[in-house]
Amino acid sequence: MRIATITRSLACLLAVGVAAAPESGCVSVPGDGQRPALATHVKDWRDEVIYQLIVDRFADGDLNNDFNVASGNLGKYQGGDWRGIVDHLDYLQALGITTLWISPVVQNVDSDADIDGYHGYWQQDLTQVNAHFGDLATLRAMVAAVHDRGMKVVLDIVCNHMGQVFFYDINRNGRPDDYVNGSGAPGDPVVQISEYDPPWAPGGVQSYSQEGASGRAPILFLDDPGINRIPPQPAVLANAAAYHGMGHIEDFNDVSQRTLGDFTGGLKDLATERADVRAALIDAFANWVEQVDLDGYRIDTIKHVESDFWPVFAGATRRRLAAEGKTNFLMFGEAFDGNDALIGSYTAPGSLDSVFYFSQHFTAFSNVFENAHDRATAQGTAQIQALWEQRAINYGSTPQPGGIGVPPAKALVNFIDNHDVPRFLFASGGDKAALHNALSLLYTEDGIPNLYYGTEQDFSGGNDPANREVLWTTGFPTDGATFTHIAKLARIRKAYTALRRGDTKVVWSTADVASEDDAGIFAFERAGGDAGPSPYALIVQNTSAFKASFTSHAGAALQTSQPGGAKLVDVLDPQQMSYAVDGGGKLDVSVAAQATLILVPESQVLSGI
Amino acid sequence: MRYPACSCAVALVFAGAPAAAQDPAASPAPASVPVATPAPAPTQTTAPSTPISVPVSSIPLPSIPGDTGRFEFGSYGRVQVASDGRGGTGRPANVVAYGNRIDEDSYAELELRREDQFAPNVTSKVVTTLGFFPPFFHFSGDATQAIAIRNLYAQGTYGDLTMWVGSRMYRGDDIYLLDWWPLDNQNTVGGGAGYVIRSGADETTVQAHAGMQRLDSTYQYEQVPAPVPPVLAAQAGPAAVNTTVLDRPRTIETLKITHLFRHENPAQKDGFKIVLYGEAHEISAGVYSDTSLNPPQQTALPADTGWLVGTELAYWTGHRDTFVQLYLRHAEGIAAYDPLAVPLTFANDHTTAGSTEDLVALGGNYEAGMFGMLIGGYLRAFRDGDVSPTTSQKYDEGILAVRPQIYLGERFGVAVEGAFESRRYAVLDPQTDQPLTASEWRFGVIPYFSPSGRGSYKRPQLRVIYNLTARNSATRELYPAQDVFSQRNTEHYLGFGVEWWFNSSSYP
Repeated sequence: MRIATITRSLACLLAVGVAAAPESGCVSVPGDGQRPALATHVKDWRDEVIYQLIVDRFADGDLNNDFNVASGNLGKYQGGDWRGIVDHLDYLQALGITTLWISPVVQNVDSDADIDGYHGYWQQDLTQVNAHFGDLATLRAMVAAVHDRGMKVVLDIVCNHMGQVFFYDINRNGRPDDYVNGSGAPGDPVVQISEYDPPWAPGGVQSYSQEGASGRAPILFLDDPGINRIPPQPAVLANAAAYHGMGHIEDFNDVSQRTLGDFTGGLKDLATERADVRAALIDAFANWVEQVDLDGYRIDTIKHVESDFWPVFAGATRRRLAAEGKTNFLMFGEAFDGNDALIGSYTAPGSLDSVFYFSQHFTAFSNVFENAHDRATAQGTAQIQALWEQRAINYGSTPQPGGIGVPPAKALVNFIDNHDVPRFLFASGGDKAALHNALSLLYTEDGIPNLYYGTEQDFSGGNDPANREVLWTTGFPTDGATFTHIAKLARIRKAYTALRRGDTKVVWSTADVASEDDAGIFAFERAGGDAGPSPYALIVQNTSAFKASFTSHAGAALQTSQPGGAKLVDVLDPQQMSYAVDGGGKLDVSVAAQATLILVPESQVLSGI
Repeated sequence: MRYPACSCAVALVFAGAPAAAQDPAASPAPASVPVATPAPAPTQTTAPSTPISVPVSSIPLPSIPGDTGRFEFGSYGRVQVASDGRGGTGRPANVVAYGNRIDEDSYAELELRREDQFAPNVTSKVVTTLGFFPPFFHFSGDATQAIAIRNLYAQGTYGDLTMWVGSRMYRGDDIYLLDWWPLDNQNTVGGGAGYVIRSGADETTVQAHAGMQRLDSTYQYEQVPAPVPPVLAAQAGPAAVNTTVLDRPRTIETLKITHLFRHENPAQKDGFKIVLYGEAHEISAGVYSDTSLNPPQQTALPADTGWLVGTELAYWTGHRDTFVQLYLRHAEGIAAYDPLAVPLTFANDHTTAGSTEDLVALGGNYEAGMFGMLIGGYLRAFRDGDVSPTTSQKYDEGILAVRPQIYLGERFGVAVEGAFESRRYAVLDPQTDQPLTASEWRFGVIPYFSPSGRGSYKRPQLRVIYNLTARNSATRELYPAQDVFSQRNTEHYLGFGVEWWFNSSSYP
């Protein structure tokens, strides 16, 4: 055989082989993984339904980022990621969700004392993504997919503290010690000394030696790359002067401790009064908005930061984002406190757009709805009215300049429970009727409803971390009673403008919880205001778990603003029962135990909801 | 779930160690001469005349009257030491899996072989090859030496039929400049057979092999402490015995058909070779249990498969080791991963489904007069099965390296080497917001002394080596911030090197 002939033949074969190679092209980063152009995706935040999800717990879309996962151990990473969110957007839309509040995205201290930073609040590097959840391109792709469906994304951020990135070298031996001291003899109690997390010291954590006091304890940054406990980023935060160094808070009512002390778990309190620290925080988080096209911040632990920080932070953020085409950027803060005035103070002019309505969590959802199942603990609804009446006093009444265009008092983020408190079904002893009733309030009251993930699947975990269950083990069913109830409430809220934009007027509340006619009744109208003159809704709830109650008592009946003879239809009721007000506009109806009526004028009833 | 990285070289084809993918058993292809004439005498210490290998069965063992057997010693080795010109040690700087070898680490093999001839057409050999990995004692001061059994097998030949069983490097042709076997490079414990079919001067060899590997990785193997069985407890007392609970070796079957086209006229020494090659890989299901957690966390590892097909086309002139080789290969599933490595990433069903590798590679050598030139290069596309489109385990890469040299007399020479290499990852470069593309230019000068004579494949070769690597910013991003490789645009490598090979049977 002639070699030249063979060579020619094989050259042809090679050409065919190359052409037929299955590789379809060079590697690339998909378009949705590249830096997006900023845009405003929200018209009115009251139209939104927020779904708070812990990324690690929602859905595991990519097992390749399941680093150090310990399935079933809720104090450790479980494997959820941003890809998992994309995979279950249908589920969320079926639930009626329009906005996702995702847990922090930044790189965290991975593990500390055998507990993991899966929640995202142990931040170490504000410039990098947490690889447990994916890479930057995946985060962008997730947000783009959410936006493609007309949904939005709110990012959880922390300005108060970093993770446990340093220790106090109390004994000046250059290494972190954790030991027990004292003999136990009178005057010499046994105490545990932890240089990772010493208690509050008024003059700052002090060092000492056998010779006695030795001045402020040096702050030494840890360097343990195996758990990502390494000096923080950006670089300004890798400076001891960027921290208060006062030890951890022991008295949360002490303003100094609250704002200067380290947060629970040895989370190091940032010196947020420093200009360089403020600038670093503003820049680091705004950069995420720019990188990903986020729609808002949920801001952690705001009451642990000096109050004059927030106008500076919020104003600078709004100006920077507006210059890039992003407006209506929601910033709502979390102050874990029942003090309504304190919470409201963070919505002072120029400050935050809204806050997590924690006082309502305690007053309404905890006191009234969670306790309803027990006659001994049941409380009346009058306290809800009393609380709501403080809105106009305690919360901002005009929109923040450059903010979301809605006054804080009308844009409070309402929630039943969250990752920091026991789930409703835990606290209520599994009272699903109470949960459904509470959900009815959540979706019909003024403000922005916020649903904690897993509520729709009747999760019932207790305190952290039991209240941070893995969702994907449920299989994401959409036919459960709670899921369908929430979905229907979302449809109703979306359909009836009054429920989103109308002003609120409480028309019945009571302290009664026993055998009184109106025991457990709470009723309020949503009408007027930004909804315009026509839209109207009347929400009537019976929070009592033990009896049907009436919207009347002692000869008085619920006075509506509807004209005499008007017919109101319960759009929550599958049968759409209708009720007529009397000639004087009064409504006296019986409401079953732990039931809600969402009444709208017959002429305004929409079909197909 | 991820698995502890295998210590083997290919497992290091990953960010942070982007250049360390070459087989430590780097050697040229000191193969036998693809002609029908008798093979060189066993005492030959010079390199073969061409690096194109042919099946070992075609090499008759010379008979020695009155003696049916003998011991043979062979070796491959290289030792290099260099400075980085800044007071540190010179180190490899490649960014692709199979970069040019000018700055590669030291490595050596010592082979002891017993060869017997029991009848005119019946021979056998028993081969033991030890591989030695750096650092060596005189560098580290550490007397502990990493040694690997690279060959431990016996082979018998009956006429045109050859069979072998044992632990063996089983491989074809390499690209010298890249220290790489682009088509076939098996390292298993198993067995194989080959049969030669002759047709005039042409020759067809069919080789088949099946072997297993069970890497010491929790992807394939796990032992846990378990209580002593009750019936033995009376003698042992309360005690734990290590019990194997995960045992899923990878089984690999290969089939290789090689056809040599040669002239009937022995005076015409040029020839052509075509190789068709295929592999099938299987791994069974198992369960990995992470006993560091309480309760132990169990991860199901499903069965997995893969396959690979490829071809090699080679032409040689028959004069002074001049040849050219072209390779094409496609792999899917677990066969896309080097058998000495475990996959780093998976499809969501925990298999390697969706993983592919495609490559085109070129190697060659040209020698004429006082001039010679080696060439090597490839283009390779690797895709893992990860559902994420952005992962460091999806990348394209390639290199072109050339080493022209001038022979100064018969025993001295100066080689220069130039290379460009690049790997483009499907991950974002934070500097550009585009795919991270690590690239570098490399330029080296190698004056050498070759006692055995003139030629690219003459060994031993004693060298002075200088290499300059110019690296782009994306390359630097692949290293930790504390690593000087993350900080420097250029790397120098100035030192000495020596390489030898003789009488080795590792290259069929």
